[in-house]
Amino acid sequence: MSDWKMVIGLEVHSELATNTKLFCSCRNKFGGEPNTNCCPVCTGMPGALPVLNKKAIEYAIKMGLAVGCTINNYSVFERKNYFYPDLSKAYQISQLEYPLCVGGGLEIEVEGKKKFINLDRIHVEEDAGKLIHDNTGTMIDYNRGGVPLIEIVSKPDISSAEEAVAYLEKLRETLLYVEVSDCKMQEGSIRFDVNLSLHKEGEPLGTRTEMKNLNSFRAVSRAIKYEAKRQAEVLNSGGKVIQETRRWDDEAGKTYSMRTKEDSQDYRYFPDPDLVPIETSDEYIDSIRKTLPKLPQERIIEYQKLGLTEQDAKLITTERKNADYFEAVVSLFNEPKFVCNWICSEIFKKLNSSEEIDTDIQVSAENLAKLLKLYKNNTINQAVARQLFDEMWKSDFDPEVAVNERGLAQMNDTTDLEKILQKIIEDNPKATAELKAGNQKTMAFFIGQTMKATAGKANPKLVGELLQKLIN
Amino acid sequence: MDYLKCSLYEIRQMLENNEISSVELTKLCLDRINSTQNLNAIISTCEEQAIDAAKKCDQARKKGEKLGPLAGIPVVIKDNINLVGTKTTCASKFLENWISPFNATCAQKLIDAGAVIIGKANMDEFAMGSSTENSAFGVCRNPVNEDYVPGGSSGGSAATVASFQSFASLGTDTGGSIREPASFCGVVGLKPTYGRVSRFGVVAFASSLDQVGCFTRTVRDSAIMLNVLAGEDKKDMTSAKILVPDYEKSITGSVKGKKIGIAKQFFSDALNNEVRANIEKAIKLYEDNGAEIVDIDLPSLDTALAVYYIISSAEAASNLARFDGVKYGVRAKNFSDTVDLYFKSRTQGFGKEVKRRIMLGNYVLSSGYFDAFYRKAKKVQKIIRQEFETAFEKCDVIICPTTATVAFKLGEKCDDHLAMYLNDIYTVPVNIAGLPAISIPCGKVSNGLPVGMQLIAPHFKEETLFNFGDFYEKHAKEI
Amino acid sequence: MAKINIEEARKLAKLSRLEFSEDELKNFVAEFDKTLEQVATIEKVDVSKVSLIENTLKSDIELRSDIVEPSFTQKEILANAPEQKDGAFVVPITVE
Repeated sequence: MSDWKMVIGLEVHSELATNTKLFCSCRNKFGGEPNTNCCPVCTGMPGALPVLNKKAIEYAIKMGLAVGCTINNYSVFERKNYFYPDLSKAYQISQLEYPLCVGGGLEIEVEGKKKFINLDRIHVEEDAGKLIHDNTGTMIDYNRGGVPLIEIVSKPDISSAEEAVAYLEKLRETLLYVEVSDCKMQEGSIRFDVNLSLHKEGEPLGTRTEMKNLNSFRAVSRAIKYEAKRQAEVLNSGGKVIQETRRWDDEAGKTYSMRTKEDSQDYRYFPDPDLVPIETSDEYIDSIRKTLPKLPQERIIEYQKLGLTEQDAKLITTERKNADYFEAVVSLFNEPKFVCNWICSEIFKKLNSSEEIDTDIQVSAENLAKLLKLYKNNTINQAVARQLFDEMWKSDFDPEVAVNERGLAQMNDTTDLEKILQKIIEDNPKATAELKAGNQKTMAFFIGQTMKATAGKANPKLVGELLQKLIN
Repeated sequence: MDYLKCSLYEIRQMLENNEISSVELTKLCLDRINSTQNLNAIISTCEEQAIDAAKKCDQARKKGEKLGPLAGIPVVIKDNINLVGTKTTCASKFLENWISPFNATCAQKLIDAGAVIIGKANMDEFAMGSSTENSAFGVCRNPVNEDYVPGGSSGGSAATVASFQSFASLGTDTGGSIREPASFCGVVGLKPTYGRVSRFGVVAFASSLDQVGCFTRTVRDSAIMLNVLAGEDKKDMTSAKILVPDYEKSITGSVKGKKIGIAKQFFSDALNNEVRANIEKAIKLYEDNGAEIVDIDLPSLDTALAVYYIISSAEAASNLARFDGVKYGVRAKNFSDTVDLYFKSRTQGFGKEVKRRIMLGNYVLSSGYFDAFYRKAKKVQKIIRQEFETAFEKCDVIICPTTATVAFKLGEKCDDHLAMYLNDIYTVPVNIAGLPAISIPCGKVSNGLPVGMQLIAPHFKEETLFNFGDFYEKHAKEI
Repeated sequence: MAKINIEEARKLAKLSRLEFSEDELKNFVAEFDKTLEQVATIEKVDVSKVSLIENTLKSDIELRSDIVEPSFTQKEILANAPEQKDGAFVVPITVE
């Protein structure tokens, strides 16, 4: 295996999060009773005609711009003709000769090594329906038929399973950032095809096989490792790799031959005469460019300039909603590192412990900024800050108001605190003796007692200082 | 009074003047369909629906409500146009039981205009043919002489108007399927500009060439019909967003100073002498009334038929792939698996001509042949289009025969599909260029069969067709 | 000029999902050659200067707004189905 080099190209199908389907006004929604989000267009009835969804084009362009593609001013939908029960018209409307987006790419990092993966193209096409099998037959549900997809095709620049996963993670992150797809793998809204071949350094490329419809990063990684090993074994034993489509069986952890190139389909692509070419002006493309959010790579650099470590900057930018939230809080309370620490600890803890997959941050940026300000300037101590935050997460409120109304401000008055400490020292001679003897562990006991006596409002730092003064 | 012999324009006035009710008129038409069943112009009638619509119209008229431009007038539509509550068979066994849950836009427009749709017209299967002999429901006969074909593919639509079963009908024209039968049956047949009338709900043959049009007994009636049918449709991306004029008002009664383009390519030796004589007389009439004749050149005209067969077959092969026996239509009785189900259902459901075109279409699209056939044909199409555009810089209208000969006998060309294809040489270039054209009756030949004159106008200049057509119609007696 | 042999015709029939008897196929090949002869008239046309791209950029074409409209009912969708079960169309077991 060792001297074989993997050459991998990935095709990623991602459903676009539009309201309606690509060519009709039926709802674009996962699941539902079979054939209830359907009409004559998406079930291929005689006489029905497709009408292109503007939003789908906008979303595809948006993604194209986010990964540095050139957007073609002239783009054409073509028919890919083949018979299969999930394809109601017996052709899929897709793009071949004139795709919407070409070129571009994105940078990945594997074990500290950066690498740029080039894209070949991004094109728009419609999804097929869903087949459900039981022991009597195959049932066809066209609810998914006609849902808009983009197919993102990479150049064969990927050379390991790790790179493939890094590339896919980056792509997913970008899709979520520009908000064109929900990327829910469990619902199949993002799916992967892998093309893989082996060759030796300096030698021409080998014959490739294709594995279709993988639906998790793990499956991609395992399929690549398995298939590379299989091809290497074939080649090492003097055999030849056959150009074919292979099915990945996730349970068995193996690939199986599906069809070879000889009986591969002749798709007879030609421009769909029911649709007109899509002409997009530079002005239109620019207007979409203006709606692009700042992307992670840009934010990571920016955040580091604000004083965050690279690791923290990466962590906070993995999801756009967190990064946007971070920026919103910082704009109100300019202590980036302090804000970042709170988000990465307190907020991520809440998000991760939530049972729902897509929990939103429950505290407004304004209120968190106020809370952190109160904490940072010693108006409240950490315990109170955490307690308030807990309450705010359940039902958001203005912490300034709460601190005032409930008198939660820290006791920073030394005379008052001294009196309280004096009493605690008198009541606890044993502990005082230990503290005097230098047992710092008892400090915690005293702080605890002070908090109890002040309803948690004492400034712990101040308590420590006063205590040292009093016992000496 | 023989109401059935009236033009649409005349009967509209009679309905308005309460000389006859729509119910009475509808019954007369339905009776006429019954008594002329031997023509086989109609695949199915929709009596109940029609009488119901006629009643509603009569009631509305009584109440003095504002009525549509076709209120109460019985019409027929070709059986490839979806109409809720009726079977849309496309004259194919495959769709003999298909009932659409939605209306074609053109059918809806007729309904909205108050028309009473009484039946669905016979045609060549999936509109592929020039004689209406390729119908799964039997051949249609020419009302002028029943031994002859009515032309096709909209033969039933032409025959119903020619035999006074209805006052107007809808057809579709992909390579001449309205104009040729209009010419053979002696009625007016209009093929509007590609994009002028919505194709939504019309079962596609060749999407880039198909256009809905109409048959009437007069040119004015044709203008009235187009007023109803024309316009952009949000459900058809190929429909044109171009303003629709009042076509009836385009009839001015004068052709003075207008320029008529004559292309020698349209008057070659293939043209029957009697047909030629009639067309030349008509041109003379225009000239005598102040029109100017200019020579134009359409050098690539002889390639139009090849372009047509490549593009139309390619699109048809793909359009007809959805007929697979899964969602609707014929499903074969015995099959081993889904692939076998496809093979058997399609083989049993389609007629010979349809199969031939599907095979040709898949041939020109298949890998290795695509560039030499399909792509090349699309390029030649562009050349032909440009030649017409250049010609129209010099003239307002082009005149030529609609067909090289008059109607032929039933069965005469059945086994010679090439001879059949050659019928279309004057009509096909118009579809290739996406232009509007009209066929109007232009006298008869010695055996009594009608001749058709074809007028071709620039894109979206249907007004010119109506003005020239109406002028000839009014002055033809003078010849 | 292109000609077609019986083997190609057989392939074409497969691609078209149509069955023909041997006689039909032979007949078809003979007819097909005549059609191809007719179709070959475009061979002579010089199209070297013709581009199929039409960059008119008249305006951005008007596309459909992304607004949901009511779908058809399941009953309407399945009304013409040759076979159905539990709201779905049915074919013999088809697994790729």
